[in-house]
Amino acid sequence: MRRPDPKIVRWGILIALLVAWEVVPLTGLLPELFLPRLSKTLNVLWIDLDKYWNALLVTLYEVVLAMVIACGFGILAGTTIGGIAVLRDLLLPVFSSLYAIPIVILYPIFTAWFGIGSESKIMFAGIYGFFPVMLSTAAGIRTIDPQFLLAARSMGATVFQQITKVIIPASLPTVFGGLRIGGALAIIGVVVAEMLTASAGIGYLVTLNRTILDSPRVFAGILCILVLSVAYDIIARRLERRMVVWQSAGRRQQQTSPRPVSQGAPAPAAA
Amino acid sequence: MQYVADLNAAKTTGAAIEIDRVSHVYAGPEGGVPALSNVSMKVGAGRFIVIVGPSGCGKTSLLMMMAGLRDHTEGRIDVHGAPMPKPDPERVGVIFQEASLFPWLTTFDNIEFPLSLRGMSKDERRRKSQPMLQLVGLTGFGERYPHELSGGMKQRVSIARGLVQDPPVLLMDEPFAALDEQTRMTMGHELLRIWETTNKTVVFITHSLTEAVYLADEVYVMSPRPGRMIDHIMVDLPRPRTYEMMATDTFGRMRDRIWQQIRKSH
Repeated sequence: MRRPDPKIVRWGILIALLVAWEVVPLTGLLPELFLPRLSKTLNVLWIDLDKYWNALLVTLYEVVLAMVIACGFGILAGTTIGGIAVLRDLLLPVFSSLYAIPIVILYPIFTAWFGIGSESKIMFAGIYGFFPVMLSTAAGIRTIDPQFLLAARSMGATVFQQITKVIIPASLPTVFGGLRIGGALAIIGVVVAEMLTASAGIGYLVTLNRTILDSPRVFAGILCILVLSVAYDIIARRLERRMVVWQSAGRRQQQTSPRPVSQGAPAPAAA
Repeated sequence: MQYVADLNAAKTTGAAIEIDRVSHVYAGPEGGVPALSNVSMKVGAGRFIVIVGPSGCGKTSLLMMMAGLRDHTEGRIDVHGAPMPKPDPERVGVIFQEASLFPWLTTFDNIEFPLSLRGMSKDERRRKSQPMLQLVGLTGFGERYPHELSGGMKQRVSIARGLVQDPPVLLMDEPFAALDEQTRMTMGHELLRIWETTNKTVVFITHSLTEAVYLADEVYVMSPRPGRMIDHIMVDLPRPRTYEMMATDTFGRMRDRIWQQIRKSH
């Protein structure tokens, strides 16, 4: 049997979910308090578009700054800890353990320090996203094939050239993996923080409307965050694919045998 | 260039590489571990030298010392009349066991890597890498990434990268060890062809006795750790070498002599 096109299947699932969202409350299987219809959700979103748009901007602003903190400090710390053997042995286990702590319990402290405005969200989400970035950067640097560095040295590379021309490109794929997770955690961090204690943002709107049992407006907020996360993931994947051409190409080439690019080139025998 | 004069000096004396009573002791947790003991050899310019020996005998260490990638405790190593305190790609090109090509660079960019380290312009780099690509028989593969090439093709790129700065000496550390038998034979043959057109001095390390006799002008045999030179065999088979020679008595006798030396040394 022929396997269906995965693209069609994916769109099929999405459409089925959207249809179910509309139909299930309509049939009375679920009360609209639990699951308001898609059309109703979209309708309140349209009515309150200004409010949601402003909230989304606040959330987006916090997410972007949190990502900058997470990626900047994560890469900096990851390079330092991954690159220096003594630090790696001393600190890497500590950081790996810290990663396992549910940092959200620290959020009340963040609000005490930075207030209930954007600063506390940015700091909290920044630290939340920092760990995967830092850990994967350290791993990316640590797992570089020493043969690459030996080859570069044999060709006369200076220490600076070894860093810029070998260590950075060689660790990019691992670092990018961490950046994607770190960015996703930054979004989660911001939204969670907004839901706990805030005066603005999508998370705040969701919590606010939940307390007054306004389900369509709760779901409108959820929809905004869904769109934001999916958009982020698509952008991150695109960026990753472009930056690490050689790796995504590696996955593609499994089926294709090597053939010369230009016509009329002599194919090397056997080798 | 200071060593240009030395290059000419090497031509008159005929020695491209001179290794004089080199010993090396690694610092271990319980005192020093001797790795090389009193190794001497003299490599004539343009010669094809093969070093064979059991695993861990220090032959790779010796090669790394010739490349300026590793220090030695005692003795003297001169390449074209001057020591190698650090790597010098204009004197020595190194080709490693695993192709060690950078997976994020295309074939062109890999071959041009040593040139880019010296800040050469892109056009000039391409002018130099193009003929190298042709020399190793990979015309048309310049824009490919390493993972799109077979094992043998990767080593061809590696050879092109070693040759691109036109160093007089080429050091090869088991370059074909990871290849299958047939590819290995083809690559050996290809290497001889390239060597004959470029007149390089080659020092080649291998585990394969057949490969050693087939490629070499001279074969050095090393003992287990600490590595010493225990035999020096002149391979007087005519050039160009052919596959048929492998079936001759002379070939077999030389192969056998190397094998006996390695066996005795254990």
